Parts: sequence; structure tokens; C-alpha cells
Amino acid sequence: MTDPDNPKPDGGTASQPEQDPSAFEDHPLEWDESENNNLAPDERASISLPAEKDDDPKLVTGQAKYTADYEKKFPDLAHARVVRSEIPHGKVTTVETSEAEEMDGVHAVLTPWSEEIPDAKYTSAGQSYPEPSPWDMNVLNEHVRYVGDPIAAIAADDVETARAAADSIEIEYEADDYVLDPEEAYSTDAPQLFAEDDVENKIVGHDYDRNRMAQIEGEIGETVAAFERDDVHVHESEWETIRQSHAQIEKHTSLAYADEDDRHVLITSTQVPNHTRRQLAHLFDIPIRDIRVSKPRVGGGFGGKQAMVVEPIPLALSLAADRPVLYEATREEEFHAMRSRHPMKVRARTAVTEDGAIEAIDLYALSNTGAYGSHGMTVAGNVGSKPMPLYSKVPNARFKADIVHTNTPQTGAMRGYGAPQGTLALEGHLDEVARDLDLDPVEFRQQHYMEVGDLDEIAGMMGGEGAERRIRSCGLDECIERGMEAIGWDSLEQPDEDHLHRGIGMALSAQGTGVAGDELGAAQLMMNEDGSFHLHVGGVDIGTGADTAFIQIAAEVLGCDEKDIVIKSSDTDVTPFDYGAYASSTTYISGTAVKKAAEDARERILYWGSKLLDEPEATLETGDGAVYSEETGASVDLEEIGYEAAYGHEEREHILGKGTHCTEESPPPFAAQFVDVTVNEETGEFDVNKLVVAVDCGVAINPGMAEGQVEGANHMSYEMAVSEGITFDDEGRPEVTDFNEYDWPTAAETPTIESILIETHEPTGPFGAKSVAEVPTNTVPPALSNAIREAVGVRITDMPITAEKIESELENGD
Amino acid sequence: MQFGLTINGESTEVDAAPDDDLASVLRSEGYTGVKCGCDGGVCGASKVLIEGEALMACGTTVEEADGTSIVTIEGLGTQEDLHPIQRAFVDHFAVQCGFCIPGMIIQTKELLEENPNPSEAEVREAIDDNLCRCTGYQKPVEAILDAAERTNGDEAVAADGGTLSDRRTNTGETHD
Repeated sequence: MTDPDNPKPDGGTASQPEQDPSAFEDHPLEWDESENNNLAPDERASISLPAEKDDDPKLVTGQAKYTADYEKKFPDLAHARVVRSEIPHGKVTTVETSEAEEMDGVHAVLTPWSEEIPDAKYTSAGQSYPEPSPWDMNVLNEHVRYVGDPIAAIAADDVETARAAADSIEIEYEADDYVLDPEEAYSTDAPQLFAEDDVENKIVGHDYDRNRMAQIEGEIGETVAAFERDDVHVHESEWETIRQSHAQIEKHTSLAYADEDDRHVLITSTQVPNHTRRQLAHLFDIPIRDIRVSKPRVGGGFGGKQAMVVEPIPLALSLAADRPVLYEATREEEFHAMRSRHPMKVRARTAVTEDGAIEAIDLYALSNTGAYGSHGMTVAGNVGSKPMPLYSKVPNARFKADIVHTNTPQTGAMRGYGAPQGTLALEGHLDEVARDLDLDPVEFRQQHYMEVGDLDEIAGMMGGEGAERRIRSCGLDECIERGMEAIGWDSLEQPDEDHLHRGIGMALSAQGTGVAGDELGAAQLMMNEDGSFHLHVGGVDIGTGADTAFIQIAAEVLGCDEKDIVIKSSDTDVTPFDYGAYASSTTYISGTAVKKAAEDARERILYWGSKLLDEPEATLETGDGAVYSEETGASVDLEEIGYEAAYGHEEREHILGKGTHCTEESPPPFAAQFVDVTVNEETGEFDVNKLVVAVDCGVAINPGMAEGQVEGANHMSYEMAVSEGITFDDEGRPEVTDFNEYDWPTAAETPTIESILIETHEPTGPFGAKSVAEVPTNTVPPALSNAIREAVGVRITDMPITAEKIESELENGD
Repeated sequence: MQFGLTINGESTEVDAAPDDDLASVLRSEGYTGVKCGCDGGVCGASKVLIEGEALMACGTTVEEADGTSIVTIEGLGTQEDLHPIQRAFVDHFAVQCGFCIPGMIIQTKELLEENPNPSEAEVREAIDDNLCRCTGYQKPVEAILDAAERTNGDEAVAADGGTLSDRRTNTGETHD
């Protein structure tokens, strides 16, 4: 692995600000919290209760509409098909389209040189503006950099015709040398993917001569000096992670058409409607106001749809064909032309004293961003900035990452967003250090991990990648205690057979909740004359139940039944601005905007209640669909208030509440993972008996949904630990093209997952909530590695963990 | 060519090529609860009951289905009156994005008709080709086990306490 200190960085975000003690005043422990934010369990009417998911009746009866289900609404709809590069690197010289163009039922054939294909460069990463990813790709590419790069696109009457037209297209290339391995790519004599002029919006630390897209570095304290001290031992280990597929069951799907006012409408399966609208405006040079992005039900995202992966194709085709166009990616395209988790090598070093005090942590990551740079720098940043703050009591810490291009498919955002890679390295490494020092792995961690009141400087060590923060809620102790109890930490029984050995491994994890200082959510609440409400939220429900959580938050504030709130989310023509569903931010950022909007509306409701009851507002409360007086017990229904406000004789008002939210805070949720494994020391085969994960997500707005998030995330983490991942042959051709080959664990192959929610109260979150969806994605790979180490004494550091690898290590140890 | 199908109890003639896959045909007939998640016979999202057997419609040609009786997810409960299996999925928070759920519920219907009291292992085996990325199978398995009890005549609310409206009824608190 490349030495991170040589060559020297030629840029980077390494400038570490002088530590000003007064900065601590910006992070008071006591938080100025609104009066109603901290409700005791018996005061809660809607939040933290298992409300039925708002869209469930539609989902379980097959009535819910996903993007592809809109097909029937457009009688003249055309279907899109994309022709992709068959070589890993080269220039497209000719695209022969005449046969396709002449086929009956073909309405448009586009190549990189077609007028409907913009010249503009862009990034597919659906991030905030200015974008922290390089603009390095085109909608259709003349210079292709991976097997699967899009070259031509077709719109035809039906899928079969589009497929036949695509098959008739012949492409000639001038092939270039290619490189698939990130370490090879990161050398001056490797084939070069980008020249300086190929990229706009360059990222700090780029060095295209070495295929480096970006380099980042951050430090607190004096790490190098700490490693050179006489009283410390230096421990070092290296870890490797897979290219994981999001594998959403609904494929990337997008439908584009021009509406009756000639405005461009995208019905699309996305996590980021507003970013998509902005990016399309940039690409196609269309005013933002003339683009509408609307998200129907979304069949899973996991970060794969935090990217504008497919939308430009149907938009360009609809412009060319003058009719609506639907593009549904194939499953093969999902595996090799959409997005995946960045594969990485991560090196962990610690300087530890004889008695187990960690004096310094140093992590270095080499990230393979694939052919383009989407999310490359920010995902790599999270390798350090999410797991390392867990040990906020360690005085010296450094993180550095090199992000390099290879001629492999594009990577992107994926649930955990760099934290799984960093957590594997750090939690696997610390387990080994504890063993070396003969320390209990739990107590060793407890000496160093976060607790309430800590000022977490590590979170801010990479400048723009995070912010220093005060820890105001932390349930780590309880997560560990409850998790140990559930897994049977102290009562493990060994199997009767001599060749079988059982072990338990554990790992901790922290994430963030939203991106500190870099997100915005907004909501609007309209009261109808019958006392019901329309809640308009920019926040995006991609299947997590966010809409239901928003309704619960609003209902708690308004004191009404959830069924009296109709939600409309994520339609840029209708709903307020929102950055989208990512970074574990939805409940925290968009949910707080909803809470503010509801509080805004509630003020006007109390005003009208006061008029109707003839009592001062200060004595009034909302609850059970009414405004009531705490002093006299008199009450007036919301319905009466609605009618009076709309049709009153003396005064009239449409009761509207609005709320927007952005914050410098990003409180970490926490998880403690436990894995019980039985290993056959003769064959290396292993059975995971049980997964236990205990999570502190603050107050769970809907515990049932939160548990579902925890279990789903943990399953995804388990898959990362034991699945094969996406692989390529020597020519960069994908070896995984369907679900059979991807071979992820099915119901019968998945162990029981026990999820435990530990309630703490996060004062900066709505009703005490922080995030839940990502933190359990990080922990199974290290905990399983640790469990196998415990069971049979061998250490697997590269994912996936397989029987062959264990058997090989067992043989090496003999 | 014309093929005769009985879909959710209604006889209909569809015009299709013999090798058209049944999922596409059903979707074009408006049964969009039949989902397509892979490109052929792997993920289980397109399952329908054909003569009582849960099969992937995307892996079945319309010619093979000619003359059969088919039940899609639209043929079970309605939003106002959910089938007990659908109700169990809702009550157990087994539904996230929902894309795989129609296929999962159809498979459950077949399972419970053949084996009204399945063990957890039998449930996991039955849905082994129903891929779900969101929930990790724990909650669907719990929902199916509970659905088995419900379809045996036990219509009690879920073991986890049921829905919020149930709880509210139980507390009986008002501010009047």
C-alpha cells in the first residue's frame, strides 16, 4: 500500500485552525431547547409511538405508484435503451446508427454528437451547491473510461424495439491502455484517465498524472510526535473492503415529458429532487423554474439514488422524440453502470501505552472511485470523520485519504458513506490491540470513547468535512450493556464437537445526523376549513417511512390525529426546498422544519381558539383535535376553528405555517454490535448464530419503523461482511450481472437479527431525535472478523469473510 | 394471439405474443401491483398465484398461463379491508419501500394455504427467493408467523402492541 507520507500532498484541506479556547463557547453543553421538545413518555400523543406507516395500505395492496407505474398514463410513451462501452478505456471514433434510425417504432437515436446531448460537463453526485464532486462526465461519452460508459441512447415504441435498435448500433473505438487496480493506478506510469482540461470544478489535491482525483488530510494534536514517544507501542494493520451494490429492488427509473405549458417534467425514482432539478438546469441550460422533478413512491435508495444517474437520458430523448420517454435501467446496468460502494484499503495505526492508553490514532485510506469522481472526496472523508470521533478522548488523531481513478464503474454514495470502511479498520484494529495488551475489548474501548459533555474535536479535523461538536446525548454504555445481555456475552457455551469453536465479537460505531452547516429542509402546513391539514415537505421518503415520521411530528405539535394530515412530499413544483434524503438527515433536518411549520400554524390556531373560547391564548393547549383551556376545560374543535378562520364574518385568514431548518450541529447516533459465530476449524466454514445490534438514535419518532431501519441496515452490513461483492475480469468486464451471481444472503441464509433501541434525548433534534438509518450499516464486518478471531484465533482483514480465507489462515497458523 | 386468463376471478382475453412474459401482460392490463425488480425470474417481486401456486410472472410466458386462474396482489384485500396477511405486514412494520411486498404477500398466501402453521425455518425457506433489500427479513418473517395465527381465526392485534389507533383506544384519554 502506498505510503501516505510520500509523496507529499500538493494540496488538501489540511490547514488546521489555531485552537481558540473561546471557540468552545460555541458548543455549550446546555442547549437552548424549546419548551415542548422534551416530552416524557406519558406526555406523547403521536411521537415515539408505533403509528402505522402512512402509505402502507397502498403498498400492501399493490396500489402504490412507482415511476414505472405511470406508463399507462402516457399513451404515446416511448421506452429508452442505452448502448454502453464494451471496452474499459478509449475513444469512440464512429457510432453507426443508420439501421436503428430506420427501424419502425424508433423515435430518436442519440450519440455524443447529437444536438440534444449537452456539451456541458457535470457530476452525477446529487450534492449541495457548490458541488464537492468534480464535473468530469458527459451525458453520452466520446472518451469512455469503463465497460458500461454510455455512448448512445434510443427511444422506441416498446422495450423490444428499443433493444433491437440498440443491438443494431455498431461502435468503433481507438482503445487505450487501462488500469483496474487502484494501487497500480496511483503511479506515474499507469494509463491516465483524465487530462487537466477534461475536468471542471476540480477537487483539492487532484493529480491527474497519477490518476488522483483528490487528496484530503486532517489532524488534531501532534500525531507524528505521539508515535515517536518512547512509552508507546505502535500497532498497525491493514483492511480491505468490497465493491458493494445497493441492489434496490426497484431499478433506477425515470420518465420525462413536456407538460401543457412546455415545462420539462421528470417523474423519477430519486433521493434528491431539488439537486436533480438544479443539475438538469445546468446541463441542459434550462431555467430551474421550467423543470419539475416529482418523486412518486421510491423502491429503495440506499444512496444509489442520491445521484442523477438516469434522468438526463429520458430528458434528452423526450426533447429529440417530442414525446414522453421512460427509461428503466436493466439489472445488469444496475450492477455495472449505476453506482456502488467505494472499495477501499484502509490502514490503521495506533500508539498505545503499556497500560492501554491510546495516545494517537492514524488512519489512511486509498479509495477506488472508479472512472468518475462522484462522491469520491466526501465519502473518503467520512472514513475518518465518522468512526474516529467515537474515541474523542484520544488526544492526537490524523486521517488522510487518496482517492484514485481506475477503469471500473462509477462509485457513489451508499448507506454508511465511508463509515463502514473506516469502522472495519478501526474496530478490527482496536480489537487486535486489546488482544495484544491482554485487555478486555469492551473496557479498552470504554476508556476512550465519547460521553456526554465531551467536546469532539476530531469531527472537525478535516475542515469542510465536519464540525467540532459538543456531545449532548450518548447511550453507548447502555448499548453495550443491553447488547452483551442479549448475545449472552458471559454465558457462551462451546459446541460438543471438538472441531467447532464458538466466539462472540463486538464493534462500536458512530455516525452523524445530517451534514453540519450544509443542509436545508423546509415545510409548509396548510389548514383546511374542516380542521384537517395539508403538509408539504421537501424531504424525501424513499421507503424509510419519513412521510409518516413527518406526520407524527406535525400531529404531536397540533394535537390532531395523524389521519387528519395529508402529506405531499418531494415535488419541486409544490413542496418547499430540501436538500434531499441523505446523510441520515431526513428526520433531523426536514423533521425539524416540519416541527417549526406546525408550531407556526399552531400559533394561529391558538389565536382563533382564543377568539372562539374568549380565553387568553396563554391558557390554551391543543390536543385530541381541539383547542382546550387548561383552566376551565372548555374546548373548541379544530374543525370549528377551520371554518371560522376561512368563513368568519369579522376577520378571515388561511392558516398557514412555515418552517425552514439548517444547523451547524450533527449529533452522532451510536451502535454496539455483537456477533455470535461458530467456526469449523477443519474447513473454515462458519455459521453466524445471531446478530445483536443496540442503537442510540435519541428518541425514535416511530420505534417500529426505526427497528426496521436498524435491521435492514444490519442486514446490509452482514452482506458486506460475507458476500462476494461486484467483481471484474481482467478486461474490466463485470462478472456480476444479475442477482444470482451477486449472491447476497436470502431469508434462509440470514441469521436472526435482534435490534435494541436505546432511548436518549438529543436536545438539538425534533422531540429529541437523531439519526438511525446508517449507523447499523457499519458494524458487522469488524464484529464478525473479531468473532472469528475469538473463535479460532485467525484474523480476516479483507472482505468478504469466506470459509476459504479462514481455512487458508488456519493452515498458515499451523 | 388471444389468450384467456382469469385474473382475480374475472375472465378476460388478452392480445399478446406467446412468449410475452406474464408480468408485462398483467402490468399492461393494469395490474401494476405485479413488480419487476430483476430481468427475469430471480427477485420474486412479480409473484402471482397461478392455479394456487406462487410463481414469478416475469419467468412465465402468457402461453404457459393460458386458460389458468391467476391471483395478483390486487385480488387480496383492499386498502379499506386488508387481508389478514396484509394486515400482519402492516402491523409488524415489515413494509419499507414496499416494492418486494406484493410478491412476498403472494408467496405467504401460498405458504399458509399449504402449511397453516409453519415454523420460522419453514417461513424463511418459503420466501427464500423473495429478495428484499430494505428490511433484512426479520420483520417479514415475524409478520408471516403472525399472519399464520391470524388466518387460523386469531384476529388479535400484533404481539408488538398493534397500531397507534389501538393504543389510543386503550388509553381512553381525552381533554374534554
